[in-house]
Formats: sequence, C-alpha cells, structure tokens
Amino acid sequence: MILVLIGLFIASFSIKNEPLFTVPPNWPKPHYDFNKNPLSESKIELGRKLFYDPILSRDNKISCASCHSPYTAFTHVDHALSHGIEDKIGTRNSPALMNLAWHKSFMWDGAINHIDMQALAPISNPLEMDSKIEKIVAKLQQSNKYPKLFYQAFGDSMITGEHTLKAISQFMLTLVSANSKYDSVMRKETVFTIQETNGFELFQQHCGSCHKQPLFTNLQFENNGLLVDKTLNDYGRMNITKDAKDSLLFKVPTLRNIEFSYPYMHDGRFKKLSEVMNHYTSGIQQSKTLSKQLQKKIILTSNQKVDIIAFLLTLSDKEFLFNPKYGFRN
Amino acid sequence: MKSKILFVLIAVILCNGYSDAQSTPKISFHPIFGNSPLRLDDSCYTTDSIYISNFKCYLSGIEFLNNDSGVWKEANSYHLLDASDNKSLYIFLSSPSNLKFTKIKFNLGIDSITNVSGAMGGDLDPTKGMYWTWQNGYINMKLEGKSKLCKTRNNEFQFHLGGYQNGDNALQTIMLNVLDNEKIDILIDIEKFVAAIDLAKQNQIMSPGKEAVLLSEKFSKIFSVQQ
Repeated sequence: MILVLIGLFIASFSIKNEPLFTVPPNWPKPHYDFNKNPLSESKIELGRKLFYDPILSRDNKISCASCHSPYTAFTHVDHALSHGIEDKIGTRNSPALMNLAWHKSFMWDGAINHIDMQALAPISNPLEMDSKIEKIVAKLQQSNKYPKLFYQAFGDSMITGEHTLKAISQFMLTLVSANSKYDSVMRKETVFTIQETNGFELFQQHCGSCHKQPLFTNLQFENNGLLVDKTLNDYGRMNITKDAKDSLLFKVPTLRNIEFSYPYMHDGRFKKLSEVMNHYTSGIQQSKTLSKQLQKKIILTSNQKVDIIAFLLTLSDKEFLFNPKYGFRN
Repeated sequence: MKSKILFVLIAVILCNGYSDAQSTPKISFHPIFGNSPLRLDDSCYTTDSIYISNFKCYLSGIEFLNNDSGVWKEANSYHLLDASDNKSLYIFLSSPSNLKFTKIKFNLGIDSITNVSGAMGGDLDPTKGMYWTWQNGYINMKLEGKSKLCKTRNNEFQFHLGGYQNGDNALQTIMLNVLDNEKIDILIDIEKFVAAIDLAKQNQIMSPGKEAVLLSEKFSKIFSVQQ
C-alpha cells in the first residue's frame, strides 16, 4: 500500500502519462528525497544535456558520458582505470550508473554523501575534468543555449551551482534498470532455464548477502579479499574514515547489467566474469577486515561457476541499455 | 523583452523597499589583526611577517537569548563571511525591533544535517568555494596567507577547517554577551588564532580530522563583542 502511494506521489510529478520516475514493484523506498528536488521534464532534460556536454571540463573535451557511456550501463568499458582530461589515467574503474535513487553514498569509498554533490568530484578532479564548479557555471552562463534552458527548468536564467548540480542529479536519478530477464521472472512473466535456475540458487547461497536483491548490492562497504595492488595502494573506505576497521573496504557494486560493465572490481583488474568467479573460490586474501561472508572458503565446480554466470547474464536489461531517453540527443 | 524590463523594474523597487526597511545591519563583523583592521593585500603584520590573503567562514543558526532562554532564532540561518567582500560582513536580520536579549549565540560552520542534504543555493552554493569536492562536506573556515615561520613553498599556510562526521565534527558554537540590542559589532581577531598555534608545525590543514577539530576550537575563541 505504501509503495503504491509512493508510486502515485512520484507519478504525480509527471505532466504526461508516462511518470518521470517509478518505484518498480516490490522494490524498497528510494533513499533520495524527491521533495527537495522535485523532478520535472525540463530539469531532467537539462541534466541530460549537461551529462553529455564536454563544457563541464577544463578543455571542453570530457563529458560525464566519456567515462559513463549509456550503451555500457554508464561505465567506461575496456579501461581498468578510467582516463579523463588529456588522457590522464585515474586511480579507479568508473562505476556503472543505475538505480542511484536508492544509494546513500557514492564512489567506491563512499566519499560522496549525496547524489546532488556527486558531479563536483569529477568536475574538480585534475585527472578527470580538472575544472571548478564556479568556472563551469560561468561558462554555462556565457553560452548561447544554457541560460534559456535553466530558465525553462528553474524559472531563473541566472545559473547557479545548486541548479546545475540538481539538474545533473535529476537525470542520473531517472537511470532506473529494472527490466531484465531476472525481473520478468520475478514478475512471473517468464521462467529461467535450468542452468539459470541452478545459477540463481548458487548465487543466493554464495553471493546474495552482499549483492542483495533487488538492487544486487547491499549498499554497504566490504572487503572482498582482493590482493592489494602495490602500484595503487588503494585502501578504499579507510581513506575517507581514517578508521583501520575500514581498511580495504569498497562499496559493493550492483551486478545489474554486469555483462556490459566490464572490467570488474574497483581497479578493473578482472576482464571476464570467469576471473571474478575464480577470485571468489581461490583468490581470497585473508586479512583482519575480510567480509565475514568470505571467511569460509567458497567451493564451486567449474560447471557451477558457469551456471552462476548464466544467471548473471539474466541481469542484463536491454531496455535500460538502449533506451533513447537516456542517450545523447542534440 | 518588455516583460524583462518590467521584471527588472519591479525587482529594483522591491530591493529598494527592502533595504529602506533595514538600513542598518543588526550584526557587523570586523576582521582584525591585533589592533588593525585585517587587510588582504600585501600588508605585513609585524608578528613573524604574517600576510593574510584569504579569510572566509560560515556562520549559522543565529539566535538571541535573554539570560539563558532563547527569544528569537533566525530561520534558514546560513551566512558566509568573506573578508574580501565587505557586504558579507553585515548581517541584516528580521528580528522584532524592540527585542530584549542579553546574549547572541551562533555556530561557526555548517551542521551535519545540512552537510548531507545535497545541493543548496545562496551562501551554501558550492560555487562559493567553501565545499570539498573529493570528499563531501562544507569547509567551515578558510584562512590562507604567508609567514616566514612556515617552511613550505613560498612560506604559505592554508587552513581549510571543516568536517561533520562523528569524532571529526568541527562545528563550534559561540555565545557572547551583548549590551546593545540594536546593533552588535563583533571582532574577529586573526592574530589570536595564529598566536594560539605553532605555525612552524601546523600550516597545511585541509581535510577533516582531529587536528581540524582542535584548530576549530581555537578559531572559536577569537570572536568578541566590541562594547
């Protein structure tokens, strides 16, 4: 009943028949407070333009989409570590973007506490867009098209940091992936193959507590037993909290659309899902902060690994990946 | 175009009306260095040849108390004081004109709830340069300059104090006695801050943590009411 009410409430933001944002059936309530930034078509559209516009970088060459391409679940495929301005290489694998309205924190280490503020990090990072929000706002103000678009969206052609960030977050909030084969099976519209069924059972037994349904992440930080890469010495969450208990903890990524969001892990060290499977059965490094779920060795036959991967492929959501409303449009 | 002109005219009339109603600020802040007004140019203060190039801080939650009970509180109370922008140092309040109070209370910095509430406008807009981008959170106070005591590049020091999370919460609450209920002048003596720290050792604090909290406590001691 509550979900229905929320659905109706959010749907009421829309002026057309299609709601701007819906909570998929049986999903939890989003974390994002839409009352503080009510969605509107013109704001989402402005956010989408900003997302694809390299004006957000110092040299006008790097856009958000440079590292978050829509066709690959909004991540940077084929790059273990994402590259930004002047081909500078960053220190982490850019995360896939979807279902962000349910997230409480952002980035692999949770450095960002609110999606509205997320865009500030790449805009300012010298390896990514290497600019400053005040400079971006000045550039937008001087452009031919943006003052009008901001006026349409916010009723004010004077561009501010607040409005710029809220528009970008509105677009990102609409990136909802909830129509994979897995979702159809949950809605009892179709069935898994035998292999996928086996894989789903094994998944729930061995992976499901961190990659919790329906988001396929528990939104927590965990140490999944990766060997520290000495060229990066990235201790994850501890860099933010300075608490030794958080050493080597990284945010659990969603597995939705994982077929398209390779490579895997915070440093993109694994190119294939089979490598990920092998890590969990034979690559786990013991340490004080290792997740308790991984302290007992996971034993899987090679057939079982293939079954789990077959299940993971049911998380691909073609409607999400190829949705024109998420893509670039002039 | 006509509508734009009309809009500007109305805005000008409204703004004028507003400033007439409150022609004198309720609170005026005066950044000083010892006995002289703080200057951000090449003025050198005798103590250890200190130069100050930037000083900004957030003030929030302004409240008046009569003895110990609150009599008025500003709603949505966030102000960025910037020594390079005189206007920012004068605060106009909508408090009743004949309000009786004996104390003023305010926070130095931004509370933790506001820190996690997403994008905001006005003085809280992240374009104000008082927001950390690599790890979210408002910078409560920025003080930058040079001193020959600092064995750093160009003898520079930078204090960007902030932090809202448990254990690292740098927010400070200040309570000062006031005699004049019409006009409050508050001195901010930067000399007291630099005298309370060891610039040779502490000169580059730009992230949340225990040191930022300790320095924020010292910073909170440099405010006084000019009687």
